Amino acid sequence: MAHLEVEGICKGWEFPVIDELSFAVEEGEFFVVLGPSGIGKTTTLRLISGLETPDAGRILIGGTDQTRLPPYRRRIAMTFESYALYPHLSVYENIASPLRARRLPANERDKRVKDVAELLRIAHLLDRRPGEVSGGQKQRTALGRTLVADPEVFLLDEPISHLDAKIRHELRTQFHTLEDLRKVATVYVTHDYAEALSLGDRIGVMGTRGRLEQVGNPRDLFERPANLKVAEHLGQPTINVIPSRIRRDNNGLFLDSETGDLRLKLSGESEAALAGYSKDHVIAGLRPQYIRPIDEAADGMELLSAEVDVYEPLGTNGIMMANLGSMSLTALTDPEKHYETGQKVQIAVDVSGLHLFDADSQVRLTGIT
Amino acid sequence: MAPMRRESDTDHPEWFQKKRKSRPLIVARWVPIALVGLPVATLLAIVIYPTVWMFYHSLRDTNIQGLFMGTHSHIGFSNYADVLGSERFQDSLLHLAQYLTFGACLQVIIGTVLALTLYEFVKSNAIRTVVLIMLVIPMMLPPSIVGVLWRFLLTPSNGAVNQALLNLGLIEQHIEWFNAGISLWSIIIADSWNWVALPLLIVYSGRVSLPPAVYEAARVDGASQWKVMRRITLPMLKEVIAIAFILRFTDAFKFVDLVYIMTSGGPAQSSELPTYIAFQRGIREFAVGEAAAYAIIIFIISAVIITLFLKYMKGVMRARGFA
Repeated sequence: MAHLEVEGICKGWEFPVIDELSFAVEEGEFFVVLGPSGIGKTTTLRLISGLETPDAGRILIGGTDQTRLPPYRRRIAMTFESYALYPHLSVYENIASPLRARRLPANERDKRVKDVAELLRIAHLLDRRPGEVSGGQKQRTALGRTLVADPEVFLLDEPISHLDAKIRHELRTQFHTLEDLRKVATVYVTHDYAEALSLGDRIGVMGTRGRLEQVGNPRDLFERPANLKVAEHLGQPTINVIPSRIRRDNNGLFLDSETGDLRLKLSGESEAALAGYSKDHVIAGLRPQYIRPIDEAADGMELLSAEVDVYEPLGTNGIMMANLGSMSLTALTDPEKHYETGQKVQIAVDVSGLHLFDADSQVRLTGIT
Repeated sequence: MAPMRRESDTDHPEWFQKKRKSRPLIVARWVPIALVGLPVATLLAIVIYPTVWMFYHSLRDTNIQGLFMGTHSHIGFSNYADVLGSERFQDSLLHLAQYLTFGACLQVIIGTVLALTLYEFVKSNAIRTVVLIMLVIPMMLPPSIVGVLWRFLLTPSNGAVNQALLNLGLIEQHIEWFNAGISLWSIIIADSWNWVALPLLIVYSGRVSLPPAVYEAARVDGASQWKVMRRITLPMLKEVIAIAFILRFTDAFKFVDLVYIMTSGGPAQSSELPTYIAFQRGIREFAVGEAAAYAIIIFIISAVIITLFLKYMKGVMRARGFA
């Protein structure tokens, strides 16, 4: 039984924020909505929670229509991007607030608050106020407030996006280990693709007007993006987008960049993708990890001469912006190497990592359809 | 991500070096001294010197003649003893307590209730603005006008207030608004009309700036309207309400204008506040020494009360993690 079903909800008439959005989240599933800011992710959560009412469409929780119910009758819990902790109440009281509103007996309330605090490792902070704890601890308090409510649907709005990288990673792993989250339907909203890939059982990439560009498991989304937008959104550094022309001659199938600086011989999967494709132009997407500066050419490798424009050493690897005549490519480099601006390098391009998109619709080319 | 410039690790970029080298000494040495010195001198002249002067004369038997002839002598703390022992001063303290409780305090409470009612129940911004402007108008009138206006409204025989109450059938006969025992209430009514919008504005703006997400969290939790008000809104407005109290209380200690215009402290000193007596004794009757003692005593009382408020606020702020 699907626990949360969203059926064709719309919000806003003249300037629709959400236009006919539908998806379903199973019990125990962690569904991540990924998209750039201002695209309607938070609005979606607010509609599910009942803080706002959709102009059209239905929201079903546990099979019953709850579109018109007020938030507190919905068995949902929600964390807010700004945490929304009560600043004048202690961490304990903040976590206990949903239970107080439900008039749970004091001893049971106490037990549940302490259990949740233990689980989230904030038991030693219960007497402090939100102003006296760190950002990560605030976030855990907010999470505790939702966990304690024992809901059927969890709505998490960018819960860890505003924390620094180290705590973000720590909390991310904590999300993995929270059993409670694995028993209910969870909708998790974020703009960070790494969070989405790490946490999501399924991911929905949201485009304009709340349209889901692609829904699938993390591997699918990363390896087979349905369109250019999805490909651009997933991955850091961003995928190289190369408007190209297809050239066929006796030697095989070639991909020439519009600028003429890049000529690649297609083979295998990318060749298959173009089967039955009649247009001349495509957009090629190539993730930076498939472009590497190289010292000595191995057999059969095509090397391109380039000049380093910008180089960022990041420890575990480096990011190089390389100039090939009039076009620029982002490449991932090995950590041991260092490059200077203006340095001449040879780069190798691995065509097995190519994604090809239709030049007009920007939809992925999959071969004969 | 910003590109890293390796060559700039040791050498500063050109624009920075240039700026550092060519920066001239713009001001002469006396300029900073003058800039600090002038305000300090002004402060000394108009605040510190008069205060010290006042304290000095509170210990002497200065009157108008003595002030100009320089013939006043040290009498220790007997001015203070006279003031504290006088029935006039003790009565005025009771009047002050009455004014603080039913004037200043009630104004803050009513202002808070009005502000939160306006915010919670009036959803139209236009209506809110109109109501706010109407409530604020009395604050823009000079106190002398307010005094004269209310004297006029409260005239016993055919004043507007008595007429209205008679017409509504709330009273049988005229209320003698300026008789002993009632005149201070009249002043309190006029003052409340004049100033209730100040706490209202403060609390209203405080309420507007509370984070909306907290209220949404409360809605998801399922807290009732009343519970939200009692457990979230009021606690979060604590320090704002404290500020309203502080402002009204400091005003209470310099509250002379309406007393002077409406009743002149009368009848029979029944509506005198300590400050009014100090004003009366010092400026009207030139008992400079005694008036100075009054002023010092009022200063001490007000300092104690305001310190208590500030201490409370500090506690609230610390609990929020501000201080």
